[in-house]
Amino acid sequence: MTRSRWLRRLGGLAVVLAVLLALATRPGAAHGGTLRLSGSTAQVPFWLVSLTGGGVIGVSFLFTALVTDHDLIREVADARRVLRVVPAPASWLAGVAGVLGLLAVVAVGLVGPPTPTANLAVLLVWVGWWAGFTATVYLLGNAWRALNPWRTLAKLLPAGDRDVSARTATAVSVGGLLLLVYMEVLSPFSEDPVLLVAAVVGYSVATLAGAAVLGDAWFDRVDPISRVFRLYGRVAPLQRTRDGLRVTLPGAALTRPPSDDPRPRPDARGDVTDRDDDATDADGDATDARDATVGAHGDADDAEAWWARREGDATFVVALLWVTTFDGLVSAAAWGDVARAVVGLGVPAHALYVATLLVGFGVFLAGFRLACRLSRRTADSYVSVPEIRVRFAPALLPIAAGYHLAHYLPYFLSLAPSLAVVAADPLSPPPSPPVLLLPNWFGGIGLLAIVAGHVLAVGVAHAVAFDTFTGRLQPIRSQYPFILVMVLYTITSLWLVSQPTVAPPFV
Amino acid sequence: MTSTPPTADTDAPDDDRPRWGPPSTTVPPGDDPHTCPYCGRPFPSDRRRTLHLGAVHGPALTDEEAASVAAVRDSEADDLFVFHLKVVAAIVLALMGLAYLYAFVLS
Repeated sequence: MTRSRWLRRLGGLAVVLAVLLALATRPGAAHGGTLRLSGSTAQVPFWLVSLTGGGVIGVSFLFTALVTDHDLIREVADARRVLRVVPAPASWLAGVAGVLGLLAVVAVGLVGPPTPTANLAVLLVWVGWWAGFTATVYLLGNAWRALNPWRTLAKLLPAGDRDVSARTATAVSVGGLLLLVYMEVLSPFSEDPVLLVAAVVGYSVATLAGAAVLGDAWFDRVDPISRVFRLYGRVAPLQRTRDGLRVTLPGAALTRPPSDDPRPRPDARGDVTDRDDDATDADGDATDARDATVGAHGDADDAEAWWARREGDATFVVALLWVTTFDGLVSAAAWGDVARAVVGLGVPAHALYVATLLVGFGVFLAGFRLACRLSRRTADSYVSVPEIRVRFAPALLPIAAGYHLAHYLPYFLSLAPSLAVVAADPLSPPPSPPVLLLPNWFGGIGLLAIVAGHVLAVGVAHAVAFDTFTGRLQPIRSQYPFILVMVLYTITSLWLVSQPTVAPPFV
Repeated sequence: MTSTPPTADTDAPDDDRPRWGPPSTTVPPGDDPHTCPYCGRPFPSDRRRTLHLGAVHGPALTDEEAASVAAVRDSEADDLFVFHLKVVAAIVLALMGLAYLYAFVLS
């Protein structure tokens, strides 16, 4: 297929998407962080909006199915420019800025005003960092490695070099992520500056202790926050490599292994293919039993440890997708009805929330693993299921990023003026700092972000499939289960987003 | 496909541009796999193996293998054409369906 034909098709796809999105966003004020469904008359019922979102995903898959040229797909995924290396003072300055930010949060949280909207600690953590900075990580590139105040502080301490198994590392980082989100969504940590400081100090102690035992491995493999940013950063067009910054298409880095952790040179090629020879079960889950040790020596051990880290990343990506969904789920109006009914039966509210958080993660993980098994079947392939899991999981990251943007962009924009005003005078800020009022149509941006994330995910999955499977039809067939799961997920998440937002009840 | 046969390097700047490499495989018990004579990767059908030969080991093939690669690619192109007709039909159906749905809902 020639390039001009391909470009025409791409142009056609863009037009179709624009029309569908223009239709889909008609209802206007949907939601996102603090946006409520305002009085705008919704002409298109929400079920149709959800269905349209699902349709956009399905149709964008069908359009990608027309692109079956291996060279072209690889060319698009590999398009890049290499920029100059970032000057060393920049990362040094970022480190200092990070530490100053941490100190500011702790100090102002303790002595600043108790009103959350006028306290720099609360605004800096939730608006500046968790909403704003996170968005820059997946939209531009991951600067957290340089900015991370705990990494900077850990350099002042004696660094340990103990090993940690990839399985333990994943368990700790997934558990930490679920805990952080639980606290963010459901506890007064996001409202009470003093409690927030307690949480920050607690996290600091745990992180510095971890770094003192494990050294850099703590931040590279265990620390949930670093892992979130490292994975979100792979969606971004700016990638940090050994020879400087690399500009790629958004999501292109998701089609290959992480550049900061390259696959060990396969002289151990025999190892790569032999690995599952002893595992003759059709599901090929042999690697599950593996508990490789990070940092072990020897080619085979290196390859296994590397593999276990990729399996850990896959699990973590699913957890990340689930927590962004959980955030939207518990603030949807429909959840309130369910929660009130269940708590009415005498179930403690926090038990309900913890159970939902854990069960939801289990459901997401099971759904993803099932899709991988089915993918092996629809493709009629011998490629092992763990291999499919590890290669396709990164395609979920743009979806999580789109959901994050939908949720936090309105929140960030409306509170950014407060952050600026309070930062100018943190100890005696005006009692009610200015807030930006967003127009009603802004809710449509959230829907757009979610659909864009899904469409990018479809593209990434397409490139991965063509990198993994043989021929031109088999890679497309391998994507059927993933597309089905994605369409169902889109319909559900758009339905959640279009619900009026309420504070989660009972907590 | 970026499988690197032990001899050639299809992906020269590998360190700079790391890719996944050949996927690991599992053969269900009782299956009789068709194995690639160059890299040992098993395939469920001879046709699939031939496509793999053409994609990954192109320069190393014997004349006989090259001929069967050409034949299988030809027949795959036919299948692909039919498949693409179905895809276009599905796109038209999906878009028309949504358009009708909107027409009914908004009328």
